[in-house]
Amino acid sequence: MSNDVMIYANDLSKTFGSFRALDKINFEVKRGEIVGFLGPNGAGKSTTMRILTCFISPTGGSARVNGHDVFDEPLKVRESLGYLPQRAPLYLEMSVYEYLRFAADLRHLDETKFKTRARSVVEVCGLAQVLGKEIRHLSHGYRQRVGLAQALIHDPPLLVLDEPTSDLDPNEKTEFLDYLKQIGKERTVLLSTHNLAEVEASCARAIIVSRGRIVADGPLDEIRAKSGRVRYVVSVQESAPGAYRGKGAPPKKAEVEDALSKVPGVKKVGDLPTDERAHVFELVSDQGVDLRPEVFQAVVEKGWVLLELHRDAQTLEDVFRSLTIGDERRNRKLPPLGGAPQADEDDEDDDEDDDAGAKGGGEALVAKGDRG
Amino acid sequence: MKNIFIIARRDLRAQFNSPVAYVVLGGSMLLLGVLVFWVQTSLIGRYWEIDRASVVPMFIYLPWLMSVFVIPAVTMRSMAAEKASGTLELLITMPVRDSEVILGKYFAALAMVLVLLASTLIYPLAMFWQPWQLGALDWGPVATGYLGCTLFSAAGVGIGMMLSSLTESEVMAFFMTLTSLFALYFIGSIVSLVPGAIADAISFISFQSRYQSFAVGLIDTRAVVYFLSVTVLCLLVAFRSLESRKWS
Repeated sequence: MSNDVMIYANDLSKTFGSFRALDKINFEVKRGEIVGFLGPNGAGKSTTMRILTCFISPTGGSARVNGHDVFDEPLKVRESLGYLPQRAPLYLEMSVYEYLRFAADLRHLDETKFKTRARSVVEVCGLAQVLGKEIRHLSHGYRQRVGLAQALIHDPPLLVLDEPTSDLDPNEKTEFLDYLKQIGKERTVLLSTHNLAEVEASCARAIIVSRGRIVADGPLDEIRAKSGRVRYVVSVQESAPGAYRGKGAPPKKAEVEDALSKVPGVKKVGDLPTDERAHVFELVSDQGVDLRPEVFQAVVEKGWVLLELHRDAQTLEDVFRSLTIGDERRNRKLPPLGGAPQADEDDEDDDEDDDAGAKGGGEALVAKGDRG
Repeated sequence: MKNIFIIARRDLRAQFNSPVAYVVLGGSMLLLGVLVFWVQTSLIGRYWEIDRASVVPMFIYLPWLMSVFVIPAVTMRSMAAEKASGTLELLITMPVRDSEVILGKYFAALAMVLVLLASTLIYPLAMFWQPWQLGALDWGPVATGYLGCTLFSAAGVGIGMMLSSLTESEVMAFFMTLTSLFALYFIGSIVSLVPGAIADAISFISFQSRYQSFAVGLIDTRAVVYFLSVTVLCLLVAFRSLESRKWS
């Protein structure tokens, strides 16, 4: 194993009784990477992190952190990392300073080292105002920052953060991610979360786990491209409040649909909901063909008024949902998804939408998830 | 070694930062005073009526008080609360050994109990030394009494730690420790009521039978070994219980 691999997990498994929390997962994190560890609740994120921090032992497989085996050298492993467990469980009766002091003592920092490090983490984590306060009196945001500060106090090459932003309000989240960006400049960070926006904001690479298996691992763009689905949204004017600027009468819906389906490269035309002023359709192309020039040309030839034409790459949110949706459905004991066409624009968190059976791509990807 | 000290110091500070330490200290001193000076002791009569320079009554009541109040209250938090709040995870993922965590917490709890023991010294000192000199006290039995109490505490805190490490609830830990210590101490009182072999078995187990000789000025090496063995055994169980999180 080369020297620049920070975390190396090989066939890592963990079972709790009959529950398989992790099923032979393999991944590597290189020195200096910031990796988002993504997955729905109960997918095995915390379990993996607890194994990497030697809090629990894997049932099978092996893991090395900074070159040290989690079985053979747990103390060396823990020395190389700073860990912030879920919900930052700190000693509430201690003051922030006392806590940092305690963490530094356990990590055997001497007085001078402690002073320089403390100054630096207090600045990076924005704790100067609350140093003397008892932790019980701090807000969640500040507690997370204290948690981050204690994880950083010994200047570790690796930071393991388990859902550091889950209890924070949006402002606190943004702030926390800003701190993280600064910190991540010079060290490896493994950050677990189920919030995709955070990963997009702070990580270049993501590992998506679902039901104890890794379902995707790679740079964000690659993951996004993985499902390879791009759609085009076309909106043609149907009626105008003033004078209609197009040629002839405004088109009927069927006309537009017909014309669009004849555009070369179009595989599928879907109707999107709209008001009476425009016809909106989404188009799916054959792999890799850019439909925009042809669509524009077609609309111009008909003399219609083109209100909108854009290409949607699938968002990470969509990818995540399609990769992990098997979990939710299994948890709710729902039947597998049907192969209906791709759904509405605003389908996030829309349960009914799921139940009604939307999401074409879901099917294939769920099947993948099943196989691991 | 250093880690044990750091963990113990933190735990002890936490005790004194919370009301627990003061409630335990104040409450037990008060109770002890009431028990010793106003309540009839079955063995030697009312304290002021026996007209003797002795603190034996104090050593009769101290173990009871420690069993049903001090040790359960001091040890209930040590592992259970940390498990419940999740702070244990952060502590254990520091570069410390599991054994250091157990020992650190053990010594913190023991130190707390010993602080209480030390403060009961006020009674013999105030009565028989300064400011009141009520008589010539024989300090020998006082010393062995404290030795006995210390050994008793060592074993009792061990039991408390063990039970605290087996649950996530402070209340459960408190009552389990209270019941265990009370039972271990109380069975000594029924030795005279049961036939030979059982009586032997009971007096072997009972904290009371083991402790009694210290209260009256004897150092029983078998009792020393017994208390220390109980301590070691309980700490081993606590250690295993902490370790079991890895495999559960």
